Amino acid sequence: MPKLASLAVAALLAGAVPHLTVTPVAGAEPAGPPLTFSWPTNVGPLNPHLYAPNQMFAQASVYEPLVTIRADGTVGPWLATAWTISQDGRTYDFTLRPGVTFSDGTPFDAAAVKANFDAILANRSRHDWLDLTRQIDRVEVTGPLAVRLVLKAAHDPTLRELALPRPFRFVSPAAMGPGGTTANGIKAPIGTGPWRLIGTRLGISDTFAANPTYWGGKPAFARLVVKVIPDPNTRAIALQTGEVDLVYGAAGQIPSEAFLRLRNQAPAFSAAVSAPLATRVLALNSARVPTDDPAVRRAINHAVDKDTLVRTVLDGLEPRADTLFAPTVPYADVGLTPYRFDRAAAERLLDEAGWARGRDGMRAKAGHPLSLELDFVGTNAQQKAIAEVVQADLARIGIAVRLVGEEESAILARQKDGRFGLIFGETWGPPYDPASFISAMRAPSHADYQAQKGLPDKPAIDATITAALAATDPAERRRLYATLLTTLHEAAVYLPISHAVAMAVHRPTVAGVRFGATLNEIPFAAMRPAGAGR
Amino acid sequence: MLRFAAARLALIPPMLLGVSFLVFTMLRLGPGDPALDYLRLSQVPPTDAAIADARAMLGLDRPFVVQYLDWLRQALQGDFGRSYATGRPVLPDLLGYLPATLQLAGTALVVSVGLSLPLGAWAAGHRGGWQDRLVRGIAVLGVSLPNFWVAFLLVAAFSVSLGWLPPMGSGTAFHLVMPALAIGLMSLSVNARLLRASMLETAGARHVLYARLRGLPERAVTRRHVFRNALVPVVTATGMHVGELLGGALVVETIFAWPGVGRYAVSAIYDRDYPVIQCFTLVMTVVFVLCNLAVDLAYAWLDPRIRLGQEGAKWAS
Repeated sequence: MPKLASLAVAALLAGAVPHLTVTPVAGAEPAGPPLTFSWPTNVGPLNPHLYAPNQMFAQASVYEPLVTIRADGTVGPWLATAWTISQDGRTYDFTLRPGVTFSDGTPFDAAAVKANFDAILANRSRHDWLDLTRQIDRVEVTGPLAVRLVLKAAHDPTLRELALPRPFRFVSPAAMGPGGTTANGIKAPIGTGPWRLIGTRLGISDTFAANPTYWGGKPAFARLVVKVIPDPNTRAIALQTGEVDLVYGAAGQIPSEAFLRLRNQAPAFSAAVSAPLATRVLALNSARVPTDDPAVRRAINHAVDKDTLVRTVLDGLEPRADTLFAPTVPYADVGLTPYRFDRAAAERLLDEAGWARGRDGMRAKAGHPLSLELDFVGTNAQQKAIAEVVQADLARIGIAVRLVGEEESAILARQKDGRFGLIFGETWGPPYDPASFISAMRAPSHADYQAQKGLPDKPAIDATITAALAATDPAERRRLYATLLTTLHEAAVYLPISHAVAMAVHRPTVAGVRFGATLNEIPFAAMRPAGAGR
Repeated sequence: MLRFAAARLALIPPMLLGVSFLVFTMLRLGPGDPALDYLRLSQVPPTDAAIADARAMLGLDRPFVVQYLDWLRQALQGDFGRSYATGRPVLPDLLGYLPATLQLAGTALVVSVGLSLPLGAWAAGHRGGWQDRLVRGIAVLGVSLPNFWVAFLLVAAFSVSLGWLPPMGSGTAFHLVMPALAIGLMSLSVNARLLRASMLETAGARHVLYARLRGLPERAVTRRHVFRNALVPVVTATGMHVGELLGGALVVETIFAWPGVGRYAVSAIYDRDYPVIQCFTLVMTVVFVLCNLAVDLAYAWLDPRIRLGQEGAKWAS
């Protein structure tokens, strides 16, 4: 018996457990120190034309777009070196970059581009959220390295939507599923990008190798290992103890107190936050009592002390937001006057609108109490904390707020059918802001539509959005955006809270860490071992 | 003994049937909508058309009983569906993750039993002394501290401050130490105290007095007559702790990024990934029942009264 027991112990300790391996590691692994990163889940099968469980940062590392969003927000060439747009805005002629091959050796040419567009459009309903998929009429091969994209109608955000991490990126036609489709899976994740996925161990890690045939600047690291770490605290500790070299992504990748602690330990760690990327907002339901009263919505905008909220709940890491889009977002610098924090002004608005304080200090009008419901995801500690601050601030001007914490899908259902007074939302960040985001305001399944539904000029708002997206004249487009954003701001259907930022923390062993133009593209290829020249 | 085991094994299928129906029902009593959860996890915008499609695809538009029977029919063929979150078949993934969890819980069990027995015996041997007080102090702490907090304390001490052990991951024996200790501490504490109390009680029994009168050396008395008899309640307790160890693994795996079934299940529960939750509950039921069976068998092996039935009782006492 003791022998048996010690054998069992030995087997346990030896880790005699076969780990799940999905992709066999092909060939000999390249030498050199890897760059280690972490992510809450495995990166998925990396189908460029599908969504979950594919992780966008990984899709964007393996697959490339025709055009790219530059750091300044403008569109630049990538797999297409040049393009022309017809006068009516319906025809785009792209010239493809010569000498590019997929990592399996298949040439990247016009035929490959068409095969990919065909595969994406064969699954058109899946990409329904993106206007461009509805607008594309056909894709034609006009030369070995020339492709023509024909739209049904002019669509201004076309180039920006082509730059998205998905779906308009290119997998080797040889790796597509049966009949040149990708909707039901691909044979292997073969792209043209700087990295190749060479191995996936479920629940443990994903490994990428630098693509030796990459057309652009080759990664300085031979390998990129992405460890699966679901818990933000564990991720912070892994960085601290050297299990990972780099943490990068939306706030919440590590707890903000861990970020501050690591930032104070410079030069052992380098920590930085990006420029504003998206906006956290509360959507105010204009179709529901009492937020159907514009005075109430404006009063709410004056009553919340965002500076204190940002300093306490968000640890001062995110800048305060005054408008739906930061003025740095394209077309969004239209000189809106922020609703400044001013309790007296808020009280005055409510008084004038006839909401009088009762004996308990809460306001009412014609027997209807001024009370509303704020819905948040119950497991999201940050939303809960923000909700509590808003509740306290609004109580001081006599508005009673009831907090409703529910599971994510229940909140999603509320956003969809408008069962909310105030509800959390977030703009989508570059490159979706502003075009894709305002486009979605027209769809009833979005909280934005539901929040705006009660506005008397909602049909005019939707018409302005449609016109702005179709406008081919930049001045006209600018004018339409200004009209739209001013209308929404004056209607006060949003309570902007803060601008979400990305954070990056890394060990001194890594150099060249900078923020990409979008949240979902991590510039791993530009990172290099410290001390190595570039 | 064989008949006993066979009877227990025969109970498993009806138990699984009952559990499966319960879980299936309870999941659908919640406020969420599986179709909406499916769309959210697949990152499909929930338009009305998409919801209708998802309902039809997941069979949610049919009566509840039909849904259950359909699920049951496929489950009997080993098909537990695909995870909403990963799109991968549930059962192979779950069985792939399970060994890592069993390895962790098994190590925790070995650590807990291996440390609690000497600690308990040591405390009993020095009743009232500092050794006794020390063991009882550790036991009180071990029972009171939640395992995830123990895990964080261990990481802070042994990874961050001392740098002796890896804070996360898997692959070597070093990776096992902290999670196993965090999970096993509770069981260790209970067992140590239980053994101490049980040994003190047995030491006062008549057969021990007779053994001393027969002139047996004290060591032999302690080992053969006190310790062995005092083990019986500890085995029972350990059997009950198996569930606790597995449950502890679910929580602690997330903290240590351990690639086990617990993390898979915890994220499924957060995400309301219905197929995964259903399959996980069933698989864990089987594991539980088998562990309890093993404990019962060990119990019978240790206590002849159970092994030999009633007529053997008078000989053994």
